[in-house]
Amino acid sequence: MEIDTGMEQEINKAAIAFSLTSALWFALATSMGMVAAGYLIAPDFMANIGWLQFGRIRPIHVNLVLFGFVTPGLLAAAFYYVPKLGRTQLFSQKLGVYNAILWNITIAIGVVTLSAGYTQGREYAELIWPVDMLIVINFALVIVNLVMTVRSRKEPILYVSIWYALAAVVLTATTYCLGNVIWKPSSGALVGIQDAILLWFYGHNIFGLLLTPLSLGVAYYVIPKVTRNPLYSHSLSLVGFWGLLVVYTHIGTHHLLQVPVPTWLKVISIVDSVAMVIPVMVFLINIWYTVKGKVGEIHADVAGKFVFAGTIFYFFVNIQGSMMALPQVQRVTHFNNWVVGHAHLGVLAFAGMTALGGMYYVLPKISGKPLYSHFLADLQYWLVLIGSGGFTVVLTIVGLIQGNAWLNGETVYRVLPAIQIYYVLRVAIGFLILSGAYIGLYNIVRTIFFNPGAKA
Amino acid sequence: MYFPYFIAYMTAGFIISILVFLWALKTGQFKDQQRARFLPLYGDVESEPARTSRLNRIGAYVLFGIVCSGLLASAVFVLFVLIKSSAMNG
Ligand code: HEM
Ligand code: HEM
Repeated sequence: MEIDTGMEQEINKAAIAFSLTSALWFALATSMGMVAAGYLIAPDFMANIGWLQFGRIRPIHVNLVLFGFVTPGLLAAAFYYVPKLGRTQLFSQKLGVYNAILWNITIAIGVVTLSAGYTQGREYAELIWPVDMLIVINFALVIVNLVMTVRSRKEPILYVSIWYALAAVVLTATTYCLGNVIWKPSSGALVGIQDAILLWFYGHNIFGLLLTPLSLGVAYYVIPKVTRNPLYSHSLSLVGFWGLLVVYTHIGTHHLLQVPVPTWLKVISIVDSVAMVIPVMVFLINIWYTVKGKVGEIHADVAGKFVFAGTIFYFFVNIQGSMMALPQVQRVTHFNNWVVGHAHLGVLAFAGMTALGGMYYVLPKISGKPLYSHFLADLQYWLVLIGSGGFTVVLTIVGLIQGNAWLNGETVYRVLPAIQIYYVLRVAIGFLILSGAYIGLYNIVRTIFFNPGAKA
Repeated sequence: MYFPYFIAYMTAGFIISILVFLWALKTGQFKDQQRARFLPLYGDVESEPARTSRLNRIGAYVLFGIVCSGLLASAVFVLFVLIKSSAMNG
């Protein structure tokens, strides 16, 4: 066990509440993913249950993984490391706990409204106006808590993780308003092509200005901790931070290369998608040099290996993303399962694994109790790792089959028999992730509430 | 009229970023970077690092295997697209 001599941390209820939130919705989100995957094998699977239609389950799955699982998981870690790095206490535990409660209410309302058919029909912005407002309020509460914590810090220098955490919540609160067109409550949309441009500016910022910076913040904290090495270079990490802000904000239009948006905008998005290699490699070089010589230690620590695997997948999803932004490549990969593979690689394998690592790292510290079971955490690691790898392979193959068939003028329905077997495989692999999610939920609940290893 | 919102957002974003950057310069956020590297380690008493075992090393190799196969697959794919597109362009 690690002993801290520095600022004694109180039991961090806010971080505990966010960890529980994340673990719970992870389990429900993957369950929804399985139902959605079931429809792709057998389209009339549960077909006469209106609120379980594919068109409703899919956005529920996607919103749950983004706002129910990954974001709260990463925030749980931030609620721990921000005060710790500032050598202070969290501004308000109470605010944090109320925030988590409101967060859960928001997500629950989101699920109910989506399943009742209330949607604004724009990807990643499906939630209706009242839920949008709740989300913005939730982020505002997180901002207040973290900014006030940073203001009361005793360490003058803001470590790079703090920069990332603050940027993520502030930028998301604002781009969320813009992307959801909150000044038009009834439609939540503009009219015409500019709506698509705005939507994908926002959509990509969900990955680029929310999940990515929060994940990098966790990695920059957990990796030095687990390896007991100082960060390779803090200056480099700040270059990466400002580089990410400059480059990532311009790439949304790469989702619209097959759409009549202005060519100059496409060019900017493609150039910056390729330029993403710079902030990405800056981060990876920094982190991998920090790990240098300690790969064994990293893999002996369950939190360390979750986060380290996250960095490997970060490498992939970005290299893949830069390629997918090239029009030549996108002629094959667009509008098919290749993109769904990329999405799971990014949101699950990179951000999701990092969130799990962050939670496993902070859990013993925020609760003052040892992890209930290292074995279960280890098992979850392998289930999620193999599941993520498997998803990527299977969905990529399906994408290539579809992309090629369509390029060759094949009609859609004639391709379907060829890809069905892969959909079956996706469900089989999905079971691994599903079990991983429920095992994680059990482990986290047992760690916090019914922990036999806890000190009296 | 949608673009006033865009312009307002971009201008505000730009100005706020510049202000934050200047604040960072003024408060010495870019100084003392050698010490900053050690910030996460502050307060840790020397504690036993987690013990590595054969299994952990195997874990690392498995991950390495995934990395290599991913890289290989990506390379093959790019090659495939390039060949295909040059064939289509004549
Ligand atoms: C260098 C960084 C990245 C680049 C250049 C990039 C590029 C792309 C491109 C071009 C698409 C659109 C593909 C198409 O529709 O044909 C896409 C989709 C997507 N990307 Fe990335 N990506 C990057 C990183 C990430 C990361 C880190 C994540 C997750 C955390 C992510 C998550 C997604 C998701 C979820 C989609 C699917 C969007 C949809 O629903 O259509 N990407 N990406
Ligand atoms: C049991 C595990 C899972 C299964 C079976 C599953 C299944 C699915 C299915 C069927 C879709 C719809 C794809 C389509 O329309 O063709 C989807 C989309 C998506 N899933 Fe999952 N999923 C699982 C876990 C996850 C997890 C854990 C995450 C993130 C942490 C995630 C993130 C996403 C995202 C971001 C999309 C949107 C993709 C896009 O629009 O391109 N999924 N998933």
